[in-house]
Amino acid sequence: MDGYKPKTVSRHPPISPHEITQLLIEWSGGNQAALDKLYPLVYDELRQMAHRFMRRERKGHTLQTTALIHEAYLRLVDRKDAHWTNRSHFFGMSAQIMRRILVDHARRYAYVKRGGGVQKVSLDEAALVTKDRARELLLLNEALEGLEKLDPRRSKVVELRYFGGLSNAEIAELLKISSNTVTRDWNMARAWIYQQMTDATA
Amino acid sequence: MKPERWQQVSRIFESALGLEEDARAAYLCEECGTDESLREDVEKLIASHREAAAEGFMASPAVERVAGLMSSSEDEVEVRLEKGQLLGSYSILERLGAGGMGEVYLAMDTRLDRKVALKILPHEFAADKRRMQRFALEAKAASSLNQPNILTVFEFGESESLAFLATEHIEGETLRDYLRGHQLKLTEALDISSQIVAALEAAHEARIVHRDIKPENVMIRRRDHIVKVLDFGLAKLTEKGDASESGFVTDTEAPTEFKTAPGNVLGTVLYMSPEQSQGLAVDGRSDIWSTGIVIYEMVAGRVPFRGATPSHTIVEILEKEAPPLSLTAKQEVPDELERIVRKALAKSRSERYQTASDLLIDLRNLKKRLDVESEIQRSTASSVSAGLQTPSSTAQESAKQPITTIGPSGVKRAALAGALLAVIVLAALGIRSWLKSTNNVAPSSATAVTANVPPRELTYWITVQKFRSGKPFEKPFQLAGEINFERDYQVRLNLRSPVVGYLYVLNESPRGENPLQILFPSPTSNSGSALVSEKQELQIPEQSWFKFDPEQGTETVWLVWSRAPISDIEVAKRFANPSDRGVIKDARVNESLKHILEESPTDKLQIERQSSPPQTILRTGEPVVTHAIRLAHN
Repeated sequence: MDGYKPKTVSRHPPISPHEITQLLIEWSGGNQAALDKLYPLVYDELRQMAHRFMRRERKGHTLQTTALIHEAYLRLVDRKDAHWTNRSHFFGMSAQIMRRILVDHARRYAYVKRGGGVQKVSLDEAALVTKDRARELLLLNEALEGLEKLDPRRSKVVELRYFGGLSNAEIAELLKISSNTVTRDWNMARAWIYQQMTDATA
Repeated sequence: MKPERWQQVSRIFESALGLEEDARAAYLCEECGTDESLREDVEKLIASHREAAAEGFMASPAVERVAGLMSSSEDEVEVRLEKGQLLGSYSILERLGAGGMGEVYLAMDTRLDRKVALKILPHEFAADKRRMQRFALEAKAASSLNQPNILTVFEFGESESLAFLATEHIEGETLRDYLRGHQLKLTEALDISSQIVAALEAAHEARIVHRDIKPENVMIRRRDHIVKVLDFGLAKLTEKGDASESGFVTDTEAPTEFKTAPGNVLGTVLYMSPEQSQGLAVDGRSDIWSTGIVIYEMVAGRVPFRGATPSHTIVEILEKEAPPLSLTAKQEVPDELERIVRKALAKSRSERYQTASDLLIDLRNLKKRLDVESEIQRSTASSVSAGLQTPSSTAQESAKQPITTIGPSGVKRAALAGALLAVIVLAALGIRSWLKSTNNVAPSSATAVTANVPPRELTYWITVQKFRSGKPFEKPFQLAGEINFERDYQVRLNLRSPVVGYLYVLNESPRGENPLQILFPSPTSNSGSALVSEKQELQIPEQSWFKFDPEQGTETVWLVWSRAPISDIEVAKRFANPSDRGVIKDARVNESLKHILEESPTDKLQIERQSSPPQTILRTGEPVVTHAIRLAHN
């Protein structure tokens, strides 16, 4: 009776698509303050969309990162004045944001491991699998953080591909490197992350 | 690994990977030479690469792998903290329940050794630091108002990726739970709403809007039924639209958006004001609306606007009038309450109560009126059970009584009788008590009626401060009773009683022909009502001092402390001119009152003087205490 869950009561994005596009342009021009403004907007949008997708997914749909980010892009950005550079910047940022969303969720989910005692109730089988994967994701994220310090470009490649769902070609375009380099970077980074994770759980 | 080493390892790794198995070993030997560890690092990495590829490690994007997280982590997964677990300096004792915003735990603050309530905030809030900081600011600002009806916030903290709020722990239940178990009486509903509104009054004055007033956010302390409003500032956390702005705005923030994700839901639309449900800017008047809904719900047992879906509810909020309480409530509803609720629920906020203070005054006045009525009913009922009088004869008789007792005669008397009939009827019992004690003709059966009543008890002390040329000259001090005062002393009377009752304080100036002055109640003190609740501490005059006349003399301050309203004084109040500090201008009223005061029996009154703290306690088994404090001054 009191559990009404309101649908969106009003949707006035606080910043118009035009402004978002301007922010993207400023950001790709090197203005970090523009990113600060964009980040929470895209975070909210993606998080909500991911939830919506996932609720659908249970009914047989699959969640695709690129579809998700594409939709967010279409919703948030004014396409009339968006160029390709903006788009790839947007995708780059979205990858970073997706990473953060997932890690935030995983942290909460897998808290029992890190916090030493936070328990999660109602652990059915699916939940157990999810919990394992949540922990795994946290380990992966830690490894990736380590890689960032050693090799920012390779860690970026991982972020774009693994969290952003970008193709090698898109990554190459965004990072202004060759497709082959993306492949090599990916192999090296993945092997290293795998090793770090294996060492951590050993 | 050092960056140089990393560069070296990755270069060799990538080259080796491009070679066939057998060529690879030779290549590694050549590249690494005698550096065994370098070779080991590269070989290990190659092995990892092989295993990772074989296992399909990271083959599909993260979202797909941890899809379960997104589908369930917010609405289905509950993080449970366990007994003994530490969160910052807080040691978890037990889980109290799930609040509107997250799990709530009872915890021990190990630094200060006190119990606190810990509210774990939804994790996604932590993602937006700026919004969190603003929330923390606002929550602390509201708490620091030190308003007894606002829950005290001790700390806002983060630990192990959990954001939490440590607050005062209240033993009690939420109004929501309370409503499930009780059919509230009107007076109780009014009492609870007055306390909610008192909290809002203080917050609004500090320009803090609650935004989410609803029964879930109101706690009732079991021990004393003190109401605490929770979660000031928290509602804002769930709103979008200002996250990227700096500044600390309260009433112009727009647009307001309510997120759709479960677990992130802003409670319910049921209590939202029209402007809030449209996503417009909200101010304190939005809280007044929500409080109106809560009052409605307490009285009627249901909210006024509820559609099949939230959208339908919003349409009702925007377009429909609330059904009158007289139709929906199971109990009789006074017109005044109907009016108050209607005014709180005006669609246009400019037609609503403009401030919480205005609403509070109306609620308190109505509450007092109902208290008086129920007191009368109770007393009348006990008379009936004692076989004294029927209620109607009591009313009829008493309607005549005050006029024969003190009232002016002739035309004036008739007008008075008409205008004040209500007051007089209400005061029925008071008259009988008053007559009984003044005339000493109490029938024995009436004594039996009052035998079970706790004794009247009234404590008073006098605060004195020496003034020079209108300015405080010495620190104030406290006296149990009367002394010979200096002329430049200013005094103030303090009163308190452990029982509820009706208090009248009258002043008689030195020269006997001067009119009486009603010091209490007055329109500016206690809203004109004589009803004083238990332990309510009164200061007379309020916010001020008595100054003595220049000439030497004795001021007499009369205290009348009664179980029921005293109709003579209630009537006389109408003759007391508020703009003239309650002086009674009518000579006949004065005369009668003085007579009654002087003649009232004092022999059954116990007077106990205490020195620490200095105070005087007056006690009697009679329904009325009448006592004169004589303040002599030179």
